[in-house]
Amino acid sequence: MIDRAVGAVLAAAVAAGIVWASSVPLALNATSDGVLRLAWGARPERIETCREPRPEELANLPQHMRQARICEGVTAEYRLIVTGPDGVRLNRIVRGGGIRRDRPLYVFEELPVSPGAAVFNVAFERITHSAGEDDRSDEGAVPPSMSLDIRATVRPREVILVTYDAQRRELAVRGPGGS
Amino acid sequence: MAVAPRAPERLTLRLLTTVDAFCNRLYGWRYNPLYQSGTIVVALYLVLVVTGVWLTIFYRVGAPWESVARITANPWAGNWVRGLHRYASDLAVLATLVHALRMFAQAKSWGPRALAWTSGAVLLLLIFACGWTGYVMVWDTFGQYLAREGARMLDTLPVLSEPTSRAFTGEQPLPSAFFFLNLFVHIAIPLAMGVVFWIHVRRVARPLLLPPRPMTWLIVGGLIALSVIWPLSMAPKAEPLVLPERIPADLFFAFWLPLSSTVGGGTALLLAMAAGAALVSVPFLTKRRGAARPAPSWVDEDICTGCVQCSLDCPYGAIDMRNRTGPRSGLVAHVNPSLCVSCGICSGSCPPMGVGPPGRTGREQLVQAREFIARTRPGGRVVVIGCNQAVSGFAPDFAAAGAVPYGINCAGSLHTSVIELFIREGAGGVLVMACPPRDCWNREGPRWLTDRVYHDREAELQSRVDRARVRIAHANAGERRQALEALRAFQADVAALGNPLADQDADLDAECEPVALPRRRRWL
Repeated sequence: MIDRAVGAVLAAAVAAGIVWASSVPLALNATSDGVLRLAWGARPERIETCREPRPEELANLPQHMRQARICEGVTAEYRLIVTGPDGVRLNRIVRGGGIRRDRPLYVFEELPVSPGAAVFNVAFERITHSAGEDDRSDEGAVPPSMSLDIRATVRPREVILVTYDAQRRELAVRGPGGS
Repeated sequence: MAVAPRAPERLTLRLLTTVDAFCNRLYGWRYNPLYQSGTIVVALYLVLVVTGVWLTIFYRVGAPWESVARITANPWAGNWVRGLHRYASDLAVLATLVHALRMFAQAKSWGPRALAWTSGAVLLLLIFACGWTGYVMVWDTFGQYLAREGARMLDTLPVLSEPTSRAFTGEQPLPSAFFFLNLFVHIAIPLAMGVVFWIHVRRVARPLLLPPRPMTWLIVGGLIALSVIWPLSMAPKAEPLVLPERIPADLFFAFWLPLSSTVGGGTALLLAMAAGAALVSVPFLTKRRGAARPAPSWVDEDICTGCVQCSLDCPYGAIDMRNRTGPRSGLVAHVNPSLCVSCGICSGSCPPMGVGPPGRTGREQLVQAREFIARTRPGGRVVVIGCNQAVSGFAPDFAAAGAVPYGINCAGSLHTSVIELFIREGAGGVLVMACPPRDCWNREGPRWLTDRVYHDREAELQSRVDRARVRIAHANAGERRQALEALRAFQADVAALGNPLADQDADLDAECEPVALPRRRRWL
């Protein structure tokens, strides 16, 4: 009889353990820091240098490969710099995706920010330069240079999202505290 | 033959045996949930399918959190169903782990059982994946965190050009397609699990898929009661631009969250992959090679009468009947060595004693028993035939209690002629101490033994043997007291019967050739 009672108590304890373990409050953001989240995707510029081939050059090419203009190019690389009141918080090179780095580029960074007033500058600049003046511009790609000043009052555990507005072709802030 | 456990298996076995013995005391071996861990998982799987179908009816991919909140707010047909769904999945994880531990401890992870182990590992993985998608479906703070962590891990693999983490940054609202895909996977995984369950039990004959009915209802009823007593509440809705201070995490499915949020997605993925690889490689690591690998059963075709009993009794479907090719017509048993685990159950099932692992056929058992009798002279004492898996450690206690201990590899492999031989040679009685039936290392040993002794199953104990002098008791390796109590009770009953008359003219194995045998018993 005692064994049965102990058995029932044990079963109840296991059941209570299951209930407890199924919903344990996990403190994942123990500090009250907010986050400056940089997240966007865009097509990097294709920097092409075009020239007219010399006649002897053309003569060396098969008939079907002879073109009036020859364009050679690379996919641009960018530098992302985030500057805060204490100096540079982030400085990294952003390249396009894929093995040849010619796919869209993606930025995803999270920087902790103390609650209160915050001032940041986010700069995104092309570091690949063109060789000559006869370049073809790339209208659909991310601009060669973008900069955004952020003045925000960061609340505890708030996320300030900096993203790229493809319509306006500029960086933009989203989030409750952004301005 | 049960192989000798290695150090990690022995350690696990010791732990498990102690807990088993405690649970046997509380619930009895028939309703010991630890013995039923595998079948409990199947029962919970059915509960999850039924409750899952019900919840899916009310789930909306366009408004996941809101629809789950609506379900949770409904006390009659919502909240407790969701609670049952959650608690059943948690218990399924627990039961799966207990089941895996038992299989590991009993060295059932290699050889012919490697398929069951590997499919079991896949099932565990599927359970975790299903739980993951289930929590993401709710799209509360916990679901969002799980999704983000999963995406972080995925992003470390160089397979996608666009990082999946971007979906959860808050740049854009999550599309319904994400939740539709999640729901699709959450439904597809249980379907896949059904197939893997089938593969899991494919190599066993007569698989037991459900616990005893009272236990099934007790578990389901208990989980329903739990869901009513502790109704679920909703965690806050996922908000990508707010970091939750705390999240209500289900540790059964998210025990790794604190680690992954500390070490980063790549390391967490590496650790998860290492754990998965370790689990899947257990059959290779625990495989017995050379002399450590017990030989499969063999059939003496001259003796085999083609009665098919060994084929019926084999717990692993390793014996089939084939047409004879020689001058004799009829059937002959054939053992498939790739399926045979050398349990020896067939030794006990063969009336003419023509099948069994080398050294353990019925004939060889009789020879060994004769040698033992000549050596120990039981006289009118009780002989305790003990399964090595269960009571091998109690031999000195049995001897101290005035009995004669005799070890065998599995009670199910014991040929009933051995029992008769002991009685005829003047033993006061024979107490067969077997594992609890649901804990038999060879699945059906105690069941077939009981049928052969009491219910005239083929290779039965002859009717001339006084059943009052034969008893079957069950104990596991941690139940010394219970085993001794069973012995004392039997000794008292036997004493009341008076002295037996030894029948020295017994000629049970007149047709057997005397064979010199290696000593295989672990204790005598």
